[in-house]
Amino acid sequence: MSLDMLQTKTLLSVRDLTVTLTTEGCDVLRGVSFDLAPRQILSVIGESGSGKTVLARALASWLSEPLEITGGEILFEGRNLVEDPAFARHLGGREIAYVGGNPAGALDPTMTVGAQLVEKLRAVRPEISTQEARRKAIRLLEAVKIPAAERRFHEYPFQYSGGMMQRAMIVDALMSDPALLIADNITQPLDVTVAAQILKLMRDLNKDFSTAILFICSSLPVACDAADEVMVLHGGRVVERQVPSGLIASPEHAYTRTLIEELPTLWTGTRESAPPPSRDQQAIMSVRGVAKHYETRGASGKAQVQAVRNVEFDVFPGDNFGIVGESGCGKSSLMRLLTGLERPDAGTIFFEDENIGQASPKRLRALRRRFQLVLQDPYGSLPPQSPIGAIIEEPLKIHGLGNRAERRDRARAAMSEVGLNVASYDSLPTGLSAGQRQRLNVARAMVLEPRLLIMDETLSALDQTEQGKMLNLFERLQAQHGFTYIFISHDLTMVRQVCSRIAVMYLGETVEVAPNERLFFDPGHPYTRALLSAAPTLEKRRYLPEECLLEGEPPSPIDLPPGCAFAGRCPHAFDRCLSETPRLQTRNAQALAACHLIDGGVAQ
Amino acid sequence: MSLVRYLARRLAQGALIVFLVSALIFTLLRVVPGDPVRLMAGGMAPEALIEEIAADMGLRDPIYVQFGRYVAGILQGDLGQSFVRPANGAAVGGASFDDSTRGERAKVWSLIANSAPMTLQLALLAMIFALVIALPIGVWGGLRPGAWPDRFALYISSVFVSLPNFWLGIVLALLLSVKLQLVPAIGYNGFAYTILPAFVLAIEIAPFIIRTLTVSVAGVMSQSFIDIAAVRGLTRNQIVFRHVMKNSAVPLLNLLGVQFSMLLGGVLVIEFIFDYPGLGLLTINAVMQRDFPLIQGIAIVTAAAFVLINIVVDLAATTIDPRLEY
Ligand code: SF4
Repeated sequence: MSLDMLQTKTLLSVRDLTVTLTTEGCDVLRGVSFDLAPRQILSVIGESGSGKTVLARALASWLSEPLEITGGEILFEGRNLVEDPAFARHLGGREIAYVGGNPAGALDPTMTVGAQLVEKLRAVRPEISTQEARRKAIRLLEAVKIPAAERRFHEYPFQYSGGMMQRAMIVDALMSDPALLIADNITQPLDVTVAAQILKLMRDLNKDFSTAILFICSSLPVACDAADEVMVLHGGRVVERQVPSGLIASPEHAYTRTLIEELPTLWTGTRESAPPPSRDQQAIMSVRGVAKHYETRGASGKAQVQAVRNVEFDVFPGDNFGIVGESGCGKSSLMRLLTGLERPDAGTIFFEDENIGQASPKRLRALRRRFQLVLQDPYGSLPPQSPIGAIIEEPLKIHGLGNRAERRDRARAAMSEVGLNVASYDSLPTGLSAGQRQRLNVARAMVLEPRLLIMDETLSALDQTEQGKMLNLFERLQAQHGFTYIFISHDLTMVRQVCSRIAVMYLGETVEVAPNERLFFDPGHPYTRALLSAAPTLEKRRYLPEECLLEGEPPSPIDLPPGCAFAGRCPHAFDRCLSETPRLQTRNAQALAACHLIDGGVAQ
Repeated sequence: MSLVRYLARRLAQGALIVFLVSALIFTLLRVVPGDPVRLMAGGMAPEALIEEIAADMGLRDPIYVQFGRYVAGILQGDLGQSFVRPANGAAVGGASFDDSTRGERAKVWSLIANSAPMTLQLALLAMIFALVIALPIGVWGGLRPGAWPDRFALYISSVFVSLPNFWLGIVLALLLSVKLQLVPAIGYNGFAYTILPAFVLAIEIAPFIIRTLTVSVAGVMSQSFIDIAAVRGLTRNQIVFRHVMKNSAVPLLNLLGVQFSMLLGGVLVIEFIFDYPGLGLLTINAVMQRDFPLIQGIAIVTAAAFVLINIVVDLAATTIDPRLEY
């Protein structure tokens, strides 16, 4: 057989595959057909409920009750896996490898990662010696860029970060040199910079190990980035399949068209974001040199976690202020400080004229009338047993405002303002959708007529369409009540759409504070550029990941090295970065960044 | 390094616990009614003689003085002498109030050292029996939650729990040793005498092990790494015997530690029924004879054993699951 023939032969051929949810009698996949050539990367994209995960599991022979294949064929190298479940199971972990979206729980917590990699290879290829398996594992760990692979081989899963664990799971899948790798939502739980690294890694591996990849995901930009071709799944059917450029340029199916249209953009045609308010007025919230550390017990006794350091910014009345950063950057700790749930170890947080960090508990309670927190999780933050009206009235009761009738009126007014049906005043929140729950949270926060609303990942749990509606609502409320917002988020696209000014956090510090346009088009800090380069988008990239993003993950906030915290991942790092910690400095009137490059980079 | 520090800390804590236990027991024994000297000297002994003996033994000093003296002794490895037992064996009656044998009363330490190994042997064998019974039933039940192995585990545990141990002991003794003459039952005259009481004890502990195992095995089975293991290509046997068993071992280990401590400290009924010469029997006799030094000695030794077993269990648990840092 010539090489040519090998390449044109199909590896996987799915014909009319139908999977039924037997308890309901409804089909989750309806007649799905597609071919996958060896070495090809095919993205499968679809919203939740489109059947993409079911497809992944069907191919990995991992369907469990009550899901069942009720029709069609899965031909792997010509053999029908549906008719030969024993052969299908035999392929699992050998020729067909699967990597899921939850790396955290994927390995036995009581065994070292290395031992489990060896165990897996020896399970499917007993003829390979332990020594050899070990060498292979370490080689692959190096190939997926796990630093100090020899040492990491002997570490336990809980000592790995999420991104490293996902790399380890990819190694696990590749141990047996599979012909097909099913990657089911593997970048979902990861931060953008880490996800971008994993995507790049996957493409490299595809080249080096000639593995065909079925890449399943729910984000169109990621899917287009990752694959040779993109297949769109909608309602259990394949509605379209094209190369990425073709799909973006001329989507054929209506669903794909709406998907592309609704996708928020970073660089072009964004919503008209409000210009930053005038800075002549007094800041509504002013944060200076705030720091907070926690004690933990580490490997060698007590250790300090520097959760928040050197945070500085001002928020002006009418502002939409954004705070962005990846997980572990200290956003949540900062939120707790801003709302007075915890007190800073150093620095001041002025809300209007009062220092929240030092206000008495009684004073703080009074102040809370004027700044309110809207929480992230729409399911955890509502008491399930109280009716909607009572939930909204509760803050009024706590602050002793109005009599019963007045409270009722205000609650109803708030409900209609956020777009909740006033008739549901007496019903329980259990029947509400995620979006409605978020509206209820907003209503509860705004009945007190606060001046400042702090939104902690408020929109993260909502889908694109619902997010858009909520943003419109926020805008309307702002126009009517003159609210000032602080949005705490990991989502650059969301921040790009609504915020007038944005602070970027890295390892507990504000490394850059700038107006929206300026931050996106002329970032002053290399980390901001890395973040922007990694953000998934269909547009032409302004910043190339290859130039802006180095390997690696943020160092642990315990025992921080001296100098710039980003130095280890910064493409521009030079000597001074390792010895001297950069402070926020002005780049011009409105933009600040903490990087030595700004003042020319020379030692002082 | 941190292991040494950890051990030092745990041992220091343990020493404090043992000290507190002995202080408590010491005080309690001296405030409860019943004068041990009266028991020793016999009902007929004149009051003056009793006072003399008591003063001689230091029993009329303030409690803290007595306790200080006692602790000083312990630190030199001396748990004192029994009030009633002579060095040669059987307990002395109360008749000999002339007390010529005083010097030859048994050392508490050697009394304990003689019976503790017996109890240890009994406890270990009981543990082995219990594991042999409970491991298969419990693991199987946990692998099939809700199905009949799970229900079987539940039923058999209920049956075991509802058998009173003294009743089971007597029935088995009658059946196996009197009727069928398979194993000896009463007293001790070789290893075979341990089997029957150990078996009765095993039946008593087995339900706890079964319960813990079914719950923890079922818990581990529902975790995602077990689910994924099959997709990764591991065989069912590898999953069950390597991963499920190891991950369910920590709760089991904790339970075994507690059960073993209880066996060491308190198999009173069973040792009494089978007249098994272990710590339990020694305790019962010591209490009945108001043999203060002996009771104290047993309390201290068992408390120390508890502490040590606990440390061993925790160490073993951290070896199995590295997330449990010390
Ligand atoms: S200070 Fe140096 S290391 Fe830090 S971001 Fe600037 S150039 Fe990079």
